[in-house]
Amino acid sequence: MNYNFNTNKMFFYFILFFSTMISISSNSWLGCWIGLEINLLSFIPLISNVNNLLMTEASLKYFLVQSIASINLLFFILMKMFFLKNFEFNKIYMILLNLPLLMKMGSAPFHFWFPNIMEGLSWLNCFILMTWQKITPMILLSYYFFNNFLIFIMIMNSIIGALGGINQISLRKLMAFSSINNLSWMIASIMISENMWLMYFLIYSLINLLMCMMFFMLNIFYINQMFFSNIKLIIKLTMMFNLLSLGGLPPFLGFFPKWMIINYLIINKFFILTFIFIMMSLIMLFFYIRMTYSSFILNYIKLKWFKIKMKNSFFSLFNIIYIFSMLGLPLSTLLFYF
Amino acid sequence: MCFITFFFLFMFSMINLIFFVYFFMNDLVIMMEWEVISFNSMSIIMSILLDWMSLLFMMFVSLISSVVVYYSKSYMSSEKNLIRFILLVVMFVLSMMMLIISPNLISILLGWDGLGLVSYCLVIYYQNFKSFNAGMLTALSNRIGDVFILMSIAWFMNYGSWNYIFYLNFMKNDFSMIMISSMIILAAMTKSAQIPFSSWLPAAMAAPTPVSALVHSSTLVTAGVYLLIRFNDLMLNTFFFKILLVLSGLTMFMAGITANYEFDLKKIIALSTLSQLGLMMSILSMGFPKLAFFHLLTHAMFKALLFMCAGVIIHMMMDIQDIRFMGGLSKYVPLTSLCLNISNLSLCGIPFLSGFYSKDMILEMVSMSNLNIMVYFLYYFSTGLTMFYTIRLLFYTMINDFNLISIFNLYDEDYTMLKSMFILLFMSLVSGSLLSWLIFFKPYMIYLPINMKLMVIYVSLIGGLMGFMISNMKIFSFNKFMFFFKLSNFLSLMWFMPNLSTYGLNIYFLNFSKNLLKNMDMGWSEYYSGQGFFNIIKNYSVFYQFYHMNNFKIYLFSFIIWLMMILLLLLMI
Repeated sequence: MNYNFNTNKMFFYFILFFSTMISISSNSWLGCWIGLEINLLSFIPLISNVNNLLMTEASLKYFLVQSIASINLLFFILMKMFFLKNFEFNKIYMILLNLPLLMKMGSAPFHFWFPNIMEGLSWLNCFILMTWQKITPMILLSYYFFNNFLIFIMIMNSIIGALGGINQISLRKLMAFSSINNLSWMIASIMISENMWLMYFLIYSLINLLMCMMFFMLNIFYINQMFFSNIKLIIKLTMMFNLLSLGGLPPFLGFFPKWMIINYLIINKFFILTFIFIMMSLIMLFFYIRMTYSSFILNYIKLKWFKIKMKNSFFSLFNIIYIFSMLGLPLSTLLFYF
Repeated sequence: MCFITFFFLFMFSMINLIFFVYFFMNDLVIMMEWEVISFNSMSIIMSILLDWMSLLFMMFVSLISSVVVYYSKSYMSSEKNLIRFILLVVMFVLSMMMLIISPNLISILLGWDGLGLVSYCLVIYYQNFKSFNAGMLTALSNRIGDVFILMSIAWFMNYGSWNYIFYLNFMKNDFSMIMISSMIILAAMTKSAQIPFSSWLPAAMAAPTPVSALVHSSTLVTAGVYLLIRFNDLMLNTFFFKILLVLSGLTMFMAGITANYEFDLKKIIALSTLSQLGLMMSILSMGFPKLAFFHLLTHAMFKALLFMCAGVIIHMMMDIQDIRFMGGLSKYVPLTSLCLNISNLSLCGIPFLSGFYSKDMILEMVSMSNLNIMVYFLYYFSTGLTMFYTIRLLFYTMINDFNLISIFNLYDEDYTMLKSMFILLFMSLVSGSLLSWLIFFKPYMIYLPINMKLMVIYVSLIGGLMGFMISNMKIFSFNKFMFFFKLSNFLSLMWFMPNLSTYGLNIYFLNFSKNLLKNMDMGWSEYYSGQGFFNIIKNYSVFYQFYHMNNFKIYLFSFIIWLMMILLLLLMI
């Protein structure tokens, strides 16, 4: 973990976070757009690395995708301003305005860039891409939310996330597809209420952070590395619990927001949607389990001289979050007690 | 451990002897009851009935078991878990006692099930596959009897109490009592290994020899006979007893023939037990419970002795049970041979040994009764067969050439075994006359023509001659049996009864479950739930990944195209 403390990167992180603040707190579409642009321009330096061709390629792809989405967003904002009166709604405008946002967050029909770019990033950047970069488009989506259209997007997200992940061996792609699947839940939650979305997003980011940090510290990028490298059993176990939590298995924290969403969806009579969500998260769970469970039970050839060292001080920092991630669901019942 | 157990059991038997004499003299019956629970006018009672019969039987059981425990100190001396063995034997004896003393169907079930369970534990005592299979056969065959007892308990609920002894005469013509009696007969037939269920008895020879001595003399197999003796009043002159007469006669016959085909020392003895059980059952079903009981007791003595001698011989012969290896043992081990001979001859009823008193009386009572020729034939032919296999066994083990390895050491100075055998030797010498004087103080009147009276001697002489001849048969003559291969197969495999109760019974279920496993578990349900679903998803995933192989430009371009199309839609409206 000799990660150099880079002040330039600090600066860009700062801009990254504040650009998001700009766009989600601005009260005009142009302000939102400006925030998105600043966000893009600050994220590019973070992910690009002169020494690594893959990262450079990823940054270029990211730039292309995001800029095309931004151009279109700007175009449709202006078009809407031009053609529609204030507070006037038009379904096709809504679709047109939603599409670039979906592209920006890597949602289903336009998600092809997402696993590709993830493949070229480091785990921390993956984490930012999977969580923080989704805040802005998601909030903007909620401003101009077209239900009937977005339900299809949700279903698509859910199915594609599950189907894409099942054949993957790259953990980053796997996490990307898992993120796509979770995106469907997030869009569903933002359809219900913003608080619900906030809760889902927070818990998802927490678990995702843990996973990404874990993979980062263990320096794992592919599934077979889980079997090769001498990872301690307890760490494998935590990894597995976190993955189950991410998939939404009941005793863990990840189930909690999904539970709430399922509850609200059923109250609002989205039965088919709920069914698809649950079935697809079953498949998600299947390949989460396949990632870790077989590394418990199968006997693999291990590298004898390859030991993974983890700084205990750093690791212990995460322990408390791990505990929260695992025991969060029973703990969260305290919320309802008071 | 052995000695303590021996001591207590022996003392117990002596106490029982004293009580037996006292009870018998004064014709006392003591009945004790403990009401466990009473609901809906039904009372579940643990009851104890002490009369001369139960006391005498307990005396014999505890005497034999004490001797067996003493014997197993030497026989099982190299056993690691000797204490467990002894405890199992003690539990076995205890459950037998429970069975003997209680005239209540529920508390009988306690002993009955205990016998089944502990006999299973004892048969599988040598933990190998053979004994496992034998134990499973034993346990499951006995389980049938348990189920019948349970069913008769259910029928007994009509009467509000399970003390059957009160209802035997009173409710004789009741429908449910008829059902009960049929079930009790079936239960007794499983325990006493009568014909449809007799395959477990030779299989149970997988148990250690002291256990065989205990199980096949006085405890497990006689439980059925004892139960029927108790239920005798109910079933006298009924259709069930007529069926039982035929079945037990056939058992006797079958066991006698099969014993002649057998070369395993213990199995021969087991089959002779089966034959004697058939004798007891048949005389019981003809309505002479006392005679059956008498034969049960004398048989218990000499059969236990016989098994113990067999155990000694097996010990000496380096765990070889095949009688073709033995021979000339009377020269090497005179004391054991003495015991073996006396018990064997007592088995076939040589005068003034204990078997003579009971067996001769039974056969003469059979001749006195009006019977058809078939049952008469079964009785006398089986008597001849008893002589046949006894003489054959004697010649094979005692007289013929010794066929074991050339370096051997047969020694007859294991006094732990010998002492315990001598107790039984004494008993099998005197118990016949002793009991006949004690129990039958009113003598049976027997009046027979001379040839019928001498019929026993005729068949015994012929049987003995046959046994002698067959034991001296050369290998060339043996090969002639191949001419009647199928017949020999039929007779030596106990009339295919092991096949009936093992393979013949479970092949259908095994086949069915095989098909079920193949078609459902590994077939359709796998295809439609587990693997099939995974395949579908995987194929979709492969199909989906095909879209990922496009150029990056195309993604972006498709996005633009989509937007333009929607824009066109907008402009069209």
